[in-house]
Amino acid sequence: MSENEQTTIEHSPGFWSQAWSRYKRRKLAMVALLFIVFLSGVAVFSPMIAGTKPIICKYKGSIYFPCMGYYYSGWENPIFQKDKFRRVYPRNLKQKDPDSWAIWPLVYQDPYRPVRANEWGLGEDGNPYDAQGSPSSLNLFGTYKTGFDIFASMVHGTRIALLVGFVSTGLSALIGICIGAIAGYIGGWVDITLSRFIEVVMCVPSLVLILALLAVVESPNIFHVMAVLGLTGWTGMARLTRAEFLKLRESEFVAAARCLGARPTRIMFRHILPNSLAPVLVPIAFGIAAAILVEAALSLLGFGISPPNPSWGTVLNSGREKLQSGYWWQLLFPGIAIFLTVLAYNLIGEGLQESTDPRLADPRD
Amino acid sequence: MTFFRKFSLLLCFATLTVIASGCSREAGDIGAANGGGGGGNAAGTETGADTLEVKPNVVLGSVKITTVAEVEQELKDNGGNMIPLFETVPNLLAEYVDQDADKLATLNKQLKDSHVKRSNLGQEKTKTTEQTVEDGGDENVPFQLGDLVPMADDEFPELADLDADAEWADKPVLDAMDLMRQRQENEEAEATIEEAMALVNDSPVNNSKIRSAIGRLASLDGSNADFNASWSRHTAGDVRSTNPLMASSSAEFDVSGLINFGLLGFDWTFTPYGSKDGIVSWQTSSDGLYDKIVLRDDLIWSDGTPITAHDVEFSYKVIMTSKVPVPAVRSGTDQLLGVKAYDDRTVVFFHPDSLATNVWNILFPIIPKHVFEGSVAEDPTMQSSAYHVEKDENPVTGGAYVITKRVRGQEITLERRESYHTVDGTQVRAIPYFKNIRFTIIEDPNTALLSLKKGDIDEYQLTPPQWTDQTGDEEFYNKNTKAYDIEWVYFYFGWNNRSHFFRDVRVRKAMGLAYDHNELLTRHRNNLDEAARGIFHSTSPWSPETLPESYKQDLDLAEELLAEAGWEDTDDDGILDGMVFIDDGFDGQIDSVQRVPFKFTIVSSNRPDRVAMCELLQENLDQIGIECSVSPVEFTTLQDRSRKHQFHAQFGGWGTGTDPDTSENLWATKAIDSGRNYVCYSSPEIDQLFIDGKYELDPDKRREIYRQIHLKLYEDQPYTWLYYRNAYFAFNKELRGVNFSARGPYSYGPGESSIFKSPAMQ
Repeated sequence: MSENEQTTIEHSPGFWSQAWSRYKRRKLAMVALLFIVFLSGVAVFSPMIAGTKPIICKYKGSIYFPCMGYYYSGWENPIFQKDKFRRVYPRNLKQKDPDSWAIWPLVYQDPYRPVRANEWGLGEDGNPYDAQGSPSSLNLFGTYKTGFDIFASMVHGTRIALLVGFVSTGLSALIGICIGAIAGYIGGWVDITLSRFIEVVMCVPSLVLILALLAVVESPNIFHVMAVLGLTGWTGMARLTRAEFLKLRESEFVAAARCLGARPTRIMFRHILPNSLAPVLVPIAFGIAAAILVEAALSLLGFGISPPNPSWGTVLNSGREKLQSGYWWQLLFPGIAIFLTVLAYNLIGEGLQESTDPRLADPRD
Repeated sequence: MTFFRKFSLLLCFATLTVIASGCSREAGDIGAANGGGGGGNAAGTETGADTLEVKPNVVLGSVKITTVAEVEQELKDNGGNMIPLFETVPNLLAEYVDQDADKLATLNKQLKDSHVKRSNLGQEKTKTTEQTVEDGGDENVPFQLGDLVPMADDEFPELADLDADAEWADKPVLDAMDLMRQRQENEEAEATIEEAMALVNDSPVNNSKIRSAIGRLASLDGSNADFNASWSRHTAGDVRSTNPLMASSSAEFDVSGLINFGLLGFDWTFTPYGSKDGIVSWQTSSDGLYDKIVLRDDLIWSDGTPITAHDVEFSYKVIMTSKVPVPAVRSGTDQLLGVKAYDDRTVVFFHPDSLATNVWNILFPIIPKHVFEGSVAEDPTMQSSAYHVEKDENPVTGGAYVITKRVRGQEITLERRESYHTVDGTQVRAIPYFKNIRFTIIEDPNTALLSLKKGDIDEYQLTPPQWTDQTGDEEFYNKNTKAYDIEWVYFYFGWNNRSHFFRDVRVRKAMGLAYDHNELLTRHRNNLDEAARGIFHSTSPWSPETLPESYKQDLDLAEELLAEAGWEDTDDDGILDGMVFIDDGFDGQIDSVQRVPFKFTIVSSNRPDRVAMCELLQENLDQIGIECSVSPVEFTTLQDRSRKHQFHAQFGGWGTGTDPDTSENLWATKAIDSGRNYVCYSSPEIDQLFIDGKYELDPDKRREIYRQIHLKLYEDQPYTWLYYRNAYFAFNKELRGVNFSARGPYSYGPGESSIFKSPAMQ
């Protein structure tokens, strides 16, 4: 059977490669995709873009990578703590080892603290704050709170923004597809029960559930939020998957597989699922966008990510509090970032929808 | 005139408001502090003493054992039982068992064996305290009015006998407005009101001018006051109950103060006096054991029933009923032996001792006997039954104002009560200046400021950023002006003395040294507030003449102190670790001894400015290898965890009481279980000083005692004191007669009752 399949793929373009070639032709969708790829790059390399810890440095004869501390605090080499660096590298590196060298992040700013005066030992000023904190060459997007750099916070906040989208939507896709597949393939009373269950879950407003959860959990963090978003947001995908499965289980290739003695799980996930994935991808893209918005909304309400971790919503929240002071930069930059990211995911979703819908296919294909 | 305010004053005295959320729930916890009726006496390290023979030379507080060698010797002497030692020399013992697996195992086994018995004891105690606090008494005990009153009914002497023995001495009965008027006669106004209103408050000089000008009182005949004016006030939270006994939040006290009445008040120096509007005379016996108050005969409840001494006695009995869940006002009142109404006018208060604090215990709210007499037994919560709900909606009150409208979560409107100031056609009391007072409930500070600028509210307490950034423009000064004054409110990081991290005073000091106080004051407090240096403000008569030096950041010294206390990075992971005795439940019982990393969580209410101050601590501690995480929690959760001591560190704030004795509730060993000694601080010396302070009647000697308390507490650093928050207020330009006290512009005599609007400005 597998031999058979392979030969067909070689001869004419398959569904996915067709969809991809259609997608490629949609300029906006491609720009959006590139934007998300770019953001992912920013998220992964954030400590190298903005930070106060050297990407790589030579100190007392050894090479260290202190910037790894931004990913996980335990990865920051303890020798610097032992040598009383007090988390200030530039001045101390030179003082304690004149032969040391370091490669610094592109922007010397920290998302977890304001840069203070004289960190380079050159008598330079610290970050300005409040009204003086407008965008400048040192603080590209200005500062918020007591002098925290908005650019650094947003660069590091990208990790959270993307993570929230991927993790929560990934979770809901997993649940949604499994439940939808079971309901659609098995049918009968299983379908009826699961469908009613889907309806029950749909009735639960996730924002309210999150607020309730945050009130109950001892020390709520962003992963709790992701979990709740994931556990409540799968219903749409479950319904779509179920509909696809209902349709496809009657098709010839499923009958063929069954005749060959394939077990139900194999039929469901190996044969039907790849063919029913297209309509599910669209709500996944939209779901990511929605999750980012929810995280921003929660941070805006002060229930989001635990302090002092940076997130776009936290900066936005600070801007809201200072609205009457006219600190426009605290609203503008995170606002634009959230807007663009959500827009990008929506464009990707739309692009996917149109490129995977055979009815919208260009007849020239 | 000044009368209607007294009531809230007395409550505020009793409460020592918790300044934590900046909104009405601030004082939400007050009641729990004392519901136990002073039952608990368990000190942090004393529990379990009954199961353990404590050797005489290692009693609590002894410092005789100072070296590890002595620890070893002591162990040899008592046959290897380490438990008696851990309470006195925990760090040395930790050092002794450090690196020695056998010793460690022995000690942990000893702790485990002894723990079961001790925890049982402890749990029973906690249970009884909490039940009294939260359920208002044991379910099975039938309702009995005044069951907590120490004196039995037949123990009260006849009035004639009392009069013969007591040698009554008169106490002042006066009107706070007269007091304020006398004060102002000697003060020249620094600016006319027109000049002041044209000023921008950007310097201390201008602030002083504005304060002086808006502080001038109305003329005696009231000709420059608009008696038809209404005053729109801001409050950050709603009122849950209008019953003064149930009040616990600052909003409730504010409203209660206007609609209820009291017998005594206190002025801006916190000197108590009898209120002329309510009483004829106030006398104290020469031995200080009795206070006799004669009420005026022209006091009338809002439903037309006369107010009598029996209402006072009844209110006392209700407060002293275990079934009635009184959240705040039982504190102090429970210090009385009894209250007896001898006739409609005369009421006598019985004290157990001649104490400097006796006068404050007389200050409790008064509720109408004829309204609640029949119903309180049926529904001791005074909140649940249909009758009580109706009475809560339309309360029968004795003060200058009555509630006319209440929209939940939005506003409370009060109206001046005719029958308060005019009885049988004659005016018997001064007419309050405002016809209406409306409390508008706005939680969000930004919305509140917008309302003020629009003129929807007439007064509002500003946050420091609002003071510096958002109230300097024309839009603000168009309708408003602003003024600030010192207020005795301090904020702190509290270190739980039962936490294995902060049991050692050196660690607590290191925390103070690690914190960047300078950045706190400049960046977080906008250079407006002053560093706090202990429990009493420098302008308070109770503070030492020279205050101790405030802490400055010194990370090297902090590290040295931590190393001395046994906190060093021995496993090279960048985080300090130490061998410590662990009290898992914060119940004062050691559960085990272990080497642990210095990682803890600080809890704070979830206001962004407070979280930011904790984040600075987090950053500073990170610099010296301590991992601190910040957990912003909802205010009620914070209160609950504080009460149960379930935290390592917390951010909080305290307002001032009128008498320094109110601080006993924060520091005495007995206040760990029954008060608000959240950080479980325990020092026999402080306990004794507070008792001395109660008994010392000579003002100078008494002052000396509280100065000692101040210094001793600062030395022990159970808190890292951060800053005093000034009172920053914005007022509509029409408001006059506003004067500040160390408790802000309202909560004293005359306080808010001297405020009026001028008709010329209408």
